[in-house]
Amino acid sequence: MELFLPIAHMDVNIALILAYGAVVGFLSGLVGVGGGFLITPLLIFTGIPPIVAVSSGATQMAGTAAGASYIQWTHGNIDFRMALVLLAGSWLGGGFGVVLANALVRGGDFGNVVIFLYVVLLGFVGLSMLVESLGAILRARAPARPAPARHGPLERLARSIVSRLPFQTEFRVSGVRMSVLVPLVLGAFVGMLTSLMGVGGGFIMVPIMIYLLRMPTRIAVGTSMFQLLFTTAAVSIMQAGVNHAVDPFLAATLILGSIVGTSSGARLGARLPGEKLRLILALVVVGVAIKMVMTLVIPPAELYEMSTKLP
Amino acid sequence: MKRRLRIAGLALALFAVHARAADGIVLEPETDHVDITTTYSGTDVRIHGAIDVAADLIIKITGPAQEVTLSREVQRGPFWIGGGKAEVSGAPSLVYLYATKPIASLLPPAERARHGLELEAVELSIEPQAGGISEDRWRRAFFRLKEREGMYREDDRAIRITRGRLVMSDINLPAEIEFGTYRIEALLVRGGKVIGRDAGQFEVRQVGIGRWVWGAAHLHAWLFGVVCTLAAMVLGFGLNAATHRRR
Repeated sequence: MELFLPIAHMDVNIALILAYGAVVGFLSGLVGVGGGFLITPLLIFTGIPPIVAVSSGATQMAGTAAGASYIQWTHGNIDFRMALVLLAGSWLGGGFGVVLANALVRGGDFGNVVIFLYVVLLGFVGLSMLVESLGAILRARAPARPAPARHGPLERLARSIVSRLPFQTEFRVSGVRMSVLVPLVLGAFVGMLTSLMGVGGGFIMVPIMIYLLRMPTRIAVGTSMFQLLFTTAAVSIMQAGVNHAVDPFLAATLILGSIVGTSSGARLGARLPGEKLRLILALVVVGVAIKMVMTLVIPPAELYEMSTKLP
Repeated sequence: MKRRLRIAGLALALFAVHARAADGIVLEPETDHVDITTTYSGTDVRIHGAIDVAADLIIKITGPAQEVTLSREVQRGPFWIGGGKAEVSGAPSLVYLYATKPIASLLPPAERARHGLELEAVELSIEPQAGGISEDRWRRAFFRLKEREGMYREDDRAIRITRGRLVMSDINLPAEIEFGTYRIEALLVRGGKVIGRDAGQFEVRQVGIGRWVWGAAHLHAWLFGVVCTLAAMVLGFGLNAATHRRR
């Protein structure tokens, strides 16, 4: 069945869009990522103008994140205090990122530099997670040998500095105690990255929560979802206000599709042990990095591309 | 520029007088509007007409102008990265040249140019933003992409003339369509000359809920964004809460 999208000015196959929504919803429910990295290219591949794909994708994520947050909340997986601190950080960082992006664009070659940095970062994060989670799974199979405590001198130094920072706070749901400044700064870093790259940043945020903030995997997934709700809602409103690019029909169809995916993803996530969840997330992150590298190295069939400006 | 415009205007006026004196063709689209509803996925607009002499026929369909951004990839070392952009404005979203025979065999180049019957001579303005390649290369890329999409095309089998008099043709409107006025221009051709002409037009417009949504998105952009986003959140939350509780 076909649906003509009033903002994108084109028709799409409803079943196809529902399927996209389901896939992205599943990932969101399972590992707490927004899925913008997946949904945007899929929509563009279908012929949706890029700006509409990005904007309506954000609207869909706000909807999916609202649903997924509800499920995560019923499972007690959201650390609200941590989420608020991260959110405050990411808004600060996001604002700074916009200013930075403007300055860099004027300097030229900005897009290319960011993409390279991003690929390197993604690859590093993804591969480290892959190694760690595989190691954890293997160790779990051989429980006789205790996990070796490997704290290098750098890490010990970092820990001693962090533990002396002011505003030490108890994050009870996550079971960690640290200075508010730590998640604030990390949130700002992710926020800056998101506004530079134009992605939700869930797949950077979750690893940061797991490895740097030492939050349990399940809580990290739930908290990331809750946090994404606000980030994506803000992006969605801005895109509609500035670019008139939110197509409500497209977003609604994606959300309907995502419902199926989200609840089954969240149910599976509740059953899987943390290291397997981390392994899945690692595969997702590595997949994104590989995809980005491929677009960089595979010669395009057509050197030129045309995109219609929205009236 | 002004002088060229004046000359063009004069030529156009002379042409109009000449054409009126030598009609010989009438033509009318079956409708003066195409309504785009939420189920639209492309359609045909039929043109009916009649000619009163044995001659060949060219029908040119021109869509409303649109603005397009062109971008280009370049190779730097092993990597393919963004290498420039250009804004194209004033170009018709669609140009169909329908004819009873290949246009090149009907009219000499000068005549073709005078009547705007060359796809790659469509008027447009190109503003390179970055990338350091010539305007001409952007222009060629634009036409190549438009032709590949089928939005600019020549078709010498799209017109049917029955019993030497009755003209019928179907304009295939694509699913991805620009809203606005589509102009139809018909030229009657014999012996390498245009001997008659007629023109018509139809509107492509969005109707119903689609029109309402589009209007809201543009007139009250911020309110629209807030309402859409809240609605998306309520939809996602509500549906999940409903399916979740049942279990």
